[in-house]
Order: sequence, then structure tokens, then C-alpha cells
Amino acid sequence: MNRRQFLSATAAAAAIARAGGIASGAQAAAKKPTPVSDGIPPSRRRLLQLNGYAANAETPLDALTTYITPNDLFFVRSHWIPAYPSLKTWSLVVDGEVERPREWKLADIKALPRTTVTCVLQCSGNGRALHRPAIPGVQWRYGAVGNARWTGVRVKDLLARSGVRAGAKHLHTFGSDKPPEKVPPFHRSLELEKVLEDGVLAFEMNGETLPQPHGAPLRLIVPGWTGNHWMKWITHLSPQPEPQKGFYMDTAYRYPDKPGEPGVAFKPDEMHPVTELFVKSCFTDVPASAKVGSSVSVRGFAFSGAPDVSRVEVSEDQGQTWKDAVLDNQHDPWAWRLFTHRFTPSAPGPATLLARATDSRGAVQPKEAVWNQSGYLHNGWHAAEIAVTA
Amino acid sequence: MRARLALAAAAVLGLALALPGPLPAAARKKKPAAQEAPANFDKFLPVFGTRLADLPQGPMKSLADSACLACHSSDILLQQHLTEKQWAATVTKMVGWGAAVPDDKKSELVAYLVKNFGPENTWQPVTTRPMGR
Repeated sequence: MNRRQFLSATAAAAAIARAGGIASGAQAAAKKPTPVSDGIPPSRRRLLQLNGYAANAETPLDALTTYITPNDLFFVRSHWIPAYPSLKTWSLVVDGEVERPREWKLADIKALPRTTVTCVLQCSGNGRALHRPAIPGVQWRYGAVGNARWTGVRVKDLLARSGVRAGAKHLHTFGSDKPPEKVPPFHRSLELEKVLEDGVLAFEMNGETLPQPHGAPLRLIVPGWTGNHWMKWITHLSPQPEPQKGFYMDTAYRYPDKPGEPGVAFKPDEMHPVTELFVKSCFTDVPASAKVGSSVSVRGFAFSGAPDVSRVEVSEDQGQTWKDAVLDNQHDPWAWRLFTHRFTPSAPGPATLLARATDSRGAVQPKEAVWNQSGYLHNGWHAAEIAVTA
Repeated sequence: MRARLALAAAAVLGLALALPGPLPAAARKKKPAAQEAPANFDKFLPVFGTRLADLPQGPMKSLADSACLACHSSDILLQQHLTEKQWAATVTKMVGWGAAVPDDKKSELVAYLVKNFGPENTWQPVTTRPMGR
């Protein structure tokens, strides 16, 4: 082991220790697991690890059966091993095109009027593993998505204290995580209009203090937009006339303007930043088997970058005909809608169910997702298999 | 090297673990609930509490260990199913980002990656515990 390797190993370990991973592990060992009563049975309480460090894990679909995704089952996405901010030294700087630059401590932010939004967070790369030809990167399948209640303050209220100038069009966002080696920093920006309208700076998730892997003490919530806009461990906001520059704006997190040939890469100027979620549905709760003539329930979720889902349909005949699923009553703008469908098999053998959602703007989930070289926003029809016996 | 790297990391983690208090020995004896303990679970490992997989054996393993695992665990390699062209592009990207791969070893490293994580790769993610429980 050379010095660099040792430093890397120790730095990783130290970062994790600082981050509280060790401490929380020790605490977990010291007391019994907290009982949970959110409707997800113990046998389904697990994650699927896609990277041990930096931490990346998705939620199995059979644990995404509830309107609110519990914090401990919520998918985790990290670019790097983060040095989680210490509350003692943490602050949020607001500068740029504002009349009064300001530095905020968390207590001052919490003194602003609070708001809670319930909405879907989905990694833009969710479903990358489903694209063909294959695409490099974290091989997310279905579960880099969850629905949570986010409590914090409106971006609009916080920025108003600094007086945003008329020329500002984009909000540049910066978190405290630093990349290793020569990896470019994860600096981002998004349209000021969107973030002033809907953006929230959240310090709570599902009624608990925002967990560190999810961005504590403060993360940006951008309802209806992909997770890359939801900056974690946020330390700096800067309204500016132009978008941010850099790898994570100009090369990564871009989506083709129009579909091309699968496997053929688009040039950066043929793409635009990935922003709104695409209409999508997935089955979550499907029995492995059923009997001819006996109905069974299948359940799932549907969401979109439009504020609501208006319809979910299920096909029992490979997409030739469709039946309306029953939408659950619970819904909030940009949250997911749970659905249920009763399936009564008519013949023995393997049965395939397909789901497709329609959003409140009329966009219909497509049979096939658009291939793109980063594997973003896969939303092709999801299939569920049931073994039918006589 | 990988084993030594892991040992060094484990030693550091062990040190860090010893800091909060004298609970590990007693805690180890407790039988956790079945659903909390996948076979690969070790609560004394960080983040998800899973043991990290080794890269496959081969002449380029030690280079892959040192060049790749400094910044990320082996999982991200194990799950890829890429062509030679894609692996070559990925290695070039990572070298640009600081991965220490000598020029004269690059093609051999790409061959190792394609052999083990090529288009036919059938990897499944590691099942782990919920976060923070």
C-alpha cells in the first residue's frame, strides 16, 4: 500500500466516521431497532446496495407500497463520500444578483414561515439499467424514487430577505460535498422562476430531522423536477443572469431535444438540462401466483412532472386493451398516486400485466423510453408477471 | 494489496468504532431481528453495513484496486455490462478525473474490465439493511 492508497482508505473511513455513519451504527447496536408501523412488513425492509461508498442504494419495489416512503427505506444517492456539515460551523450564504447578501444560520432559517410539501423525489438516472444498449453509471433499476413530506421554508421567502434583482434568471446552487481527485465539482443551477414558485429549503423529512445522507441540515426541494436539482448539504445560493457552467451542467444531466437512434450519442447542443419528471407508473405489490377465476389485487404507484396523475391503466393482453385501475384518494401536487387493479385470470400459464399512466396534462406513458447516453428518465411500460394455475 | 487496503480501512474504522463507548463486545452477542440481518450484514461496517466485495482475480486486479477503489467501492464496477469501447471510454474519463493508470497498462486494464464486466455480466445488487436502523 502506498501513501496515496493509505490516505484514500483512511480519508474514506474518517469521512464516514465524521459523517456519523459509525456513530449511528454504534447507536443502532446499543439499542433495539425502533419499531416501525408504517405498513411495510419487516421482511420487506431492506435496500439494494449499488455502491457501498459513495453510498448509493435503491428501494425494492415491494417496499414502495405506501403513500409516504419511510426515511429508512428511502433511496440514497451520493456522488462522493460527503463530509457532512457540522451544525456549529454550517451556514447558508446568499449572494449574487441580490440587494443585500446575507449569511444564514439554521436557527434563523427555521424562524421563517414554514411550509410542508409532499412530493416525489426521483433520481434522473432511475431505470438506467433498463436502457438498451447498456449505459455506464450506477445501474439503477426501479427504486431510485420515493414520496416524502418535506418541511422547511420557501426559497421565495428566504431570497426575498436579500432582495433579488430583476436581472437574475437562474439560481446557482452549491453543496458542501467535495469531489475526490480531479473530479469536477457538483455545481448546479436551475431556473429562478421555477424555484421561486415551488422551491423549498427543507430541514425535515417525514416529520423527522432531515437525515444526513439526505442532505442535512438543509436541502433544496424542487417538486416535479429530477433529483439532480435537489441540492443536498446546501451552503450557497446565488441568483445570476446566466446558468451555471461546468461538467454537471454542460455535459451531464442533459436530455435529448428529440429521440435519436439507440446507442448513438447526442452532442451536448442536441440536448437540454433534464428537469421535469416524465409520466411513469410501476407495479409494487403483485402476487407471485393466482388461480383461474379467482381475482387478485395488484398495486403500484404513478407520478409525473405534471402536478397530478389523472389515470392509470392496466393491460392483461400485452397492450391490446386497457382497463382503468382505481386511483387512491391520497394525492398532493407532484406526489405519487397509488393504484390498485383487480386481476381475474382466465387461463393457466404465465400472465403479464402492463401499466401505463396518464398525467394531468394528458401526457401518456410510452411503451418504450427514449434512449439517451446518460440513461435518464426511463419511463417505458412496467410489466408484472403472475403464474396462473388451474 | 486489496486485502491490506481493506485491513487498513477496517483498522481505522475499528478505532473510530471504539470511540463512542465500550458497547461493541456486548452488542455483538445480541441477536438482531431476522429482517435486520442479511447474511452479509456487519453492523460494524459503515453506511449500509455490508461487507464490500473483492474485485475478481486477474493480472490487473491490483491496479484496479488502487486506481478505482480509492474513490468508490467495487460495486460500481461489478454492476457494469459494457463493451470494450465503452470500458475504454470510461477508463479514459476516470484517468482524466485522477485515476492513476499508467499509459502502458490501460489496454490491459480495459481487457480485465471487459472480461469480468462485459455485456454478458449478470450482476445483482447486494441486499442490505434499511438506513439508520
